Amino acid sequence: MDDLAQSVLVQWRVNGVLHELDVLPGQSLMDVLRDALRLTGTHMGCMTGHCGACTVMIDGRIAKSCIAQAATLPRAEIRTIEGLMGPDGRLSPVQQAFWDEAGFQCGYCAPGMLFSAIELLSETPDPTDAEIDSALAGSLCRCTGYQSLRRAVRAAARALRETP
Amino acid sequence: MSLYPSLARPRTLADAAALLASLSSGGVVIAGGQELMPSINAGVLAPEVYVDIGGLAELRGIAETPEGLLAIGALTVHRELQTHPLVTAKLPLLGHAATRAGGGRQVHNRGTIGGNLVAQHPLYDLAPSLLALEAEVEWVKGSETVRQPLAAMLADSRHGLGSEAILARVLVVPMAEGLGFAYEKLKASGGAYGSANAAALVKLTNGRVAAVRLVVGAVAERLLDASAAAAALLVGRPFDAAAGAALAHAVSALVTAPLSDAQGPGPWRQAMAGVVARRAVAAAVQRAGRA
Ligand SMILES: Cc1cc2nc3c(=O)[nH]c(=O)nc-3n(C[C@H](O)[C@H](O)[C@H](O)COP(=O)(O)OP(=O)(O)OC[C@H]3O[C@@H](n4cnc5c(N)ncnc54)[C@H](O)[C@@H]3O)c2cc1C
Repeated sequence: MDDLAQSVLVQWRVNGVLHELDVLPGQSLMDVLRDALRLTGTHMGCMTGHCGACTVMIDGRIAKSCIAQAATLPRAEIRTIEGLMGPDGRLSPVQQAFWDEAGFQCGYCAPGMLFSAIELLSETPDPTDAEIDSALAGSLCRCTGYQSLRRAVRAAARALRETP
Repeated sequence: MSLYPSLARPRTLADAAALLASLSSGGVVIAGGQELMPSINAGVLAPEVYVDIGGLAELRGIAETPEGLLAIGALTVHRELQTHPLVTAKLPLLGHAATRAGGGRQVHNRGTIGGNLVAQHPLYDLAPSLLALEAEVEWVKGSETVRQPLAAMLADSRHGLGSEAILARVLVVPMAEGLGFAYEKLKASGGAYGSANAAALVKLTNGRVAAVRLVVGAVAERLLDASAAAAALLVGRPFDAAAGAALAHAVSALVTAPLSDAQGPGPWRQAMAGVVARRAVAAAVQRAGRA
């Protein structure tokens, strides 16, 4: 595809479902997820990449979807916050830990916090507080003062270590 | 001029360079988009043509060259710099600096070394270390391939590579065993950027400084290579408190036009340039002493 195109056909598997979509150059992944696919759990926040409320997973790595350009992802495996719960509709262990520890108040930051915790715990099953803080650094929360978020990540770590 | 932007995703570096050369009004290269997209979202940047280089395999990977250099592809993201075994073993200063960049894991997973360097942003975290390491860059423009010191690219008055060149790789001599290193980032806020940054490399012989490289960032429009000033003060002596104070004083004196922005006012930035320089050299000396 060497030609200049004003509309780009992308093939994405989003939360396990294959989509073929025409996207416009310049458009963010966040816009396509929210507007075309109606996945509004991906929140729009700052649009500068600072707050993390639009976080999703692209090909297994977390990313801020407001600053990922849709047309530069011709084929991708995308997971949004809607894709975290189990097939039975139950919360995943990390979500459950955030629920139990009152990790969220308003919940606007949930995509950033949950995906950051998931990526951290996939690499570091028993993180220190410093590792938790640095893993959450790309996501802002204006409600909790971060203490309950730390507790939630610790609880999630325990839960994941205990589930085989 | 078209109302809607267009995008091309070339498959080879040669195709991408040829395409850029053929666009009379210029195309905008996009890699991870972490620097471009905030401006596009805000409407302050509205490119007509994007050239997406994400599909260029030639710009990926980290490898050793036959000359013994580490070649880092321009599409290498911060995360790979933090974790790649070759970087950890041979360029720990760069790996460490990459951990200090802001934006969090999400940005580290997508932001590339190429985008970071080409942006030439005075607050960014990779250039000070790479300049201290005397890195070279290789870029392609039309059918021409140019290899030059990073210092020359950063000093170019055209500010960057222009709109036709593609940065392909960064080439770095591996750090010698036992070389002390440190990257100090002084942050005045919870935000991403430092108010003064310093990268230092120190070689110690019998407890005395034998060689030093020192680059200070985030205090002026351009990076400050203070290596000569540092060497004049430090080489041949042990690094003690008096040497540290003299170094801080000398480095601050080199900052003639300090930045004054959200990261802090100019006079303070000038003072902090000396402080981070002293801290970075002290930490590098300690590491060298332990080796
Ligand atoms: C919230 C946030 C916080 C951040 N904090 C920091 C920080 O603390 N420190 C830091 O250093 N950086 C920071 N950054 C910036 C970002 O991490 C880096 O600048 C990143 O590496 C940019 O790379 P990219 O591939 O995303 O660039 P892009 O946005 O794709 O491109 C950036 C620029 O470089 C050009 N370009 C890109 N690649 C090439 C190439 N190979 N050849 C020619 N031109 C090219 C583009 O045309 C554009 O002008 C932050 C970013 C965000 C969103």
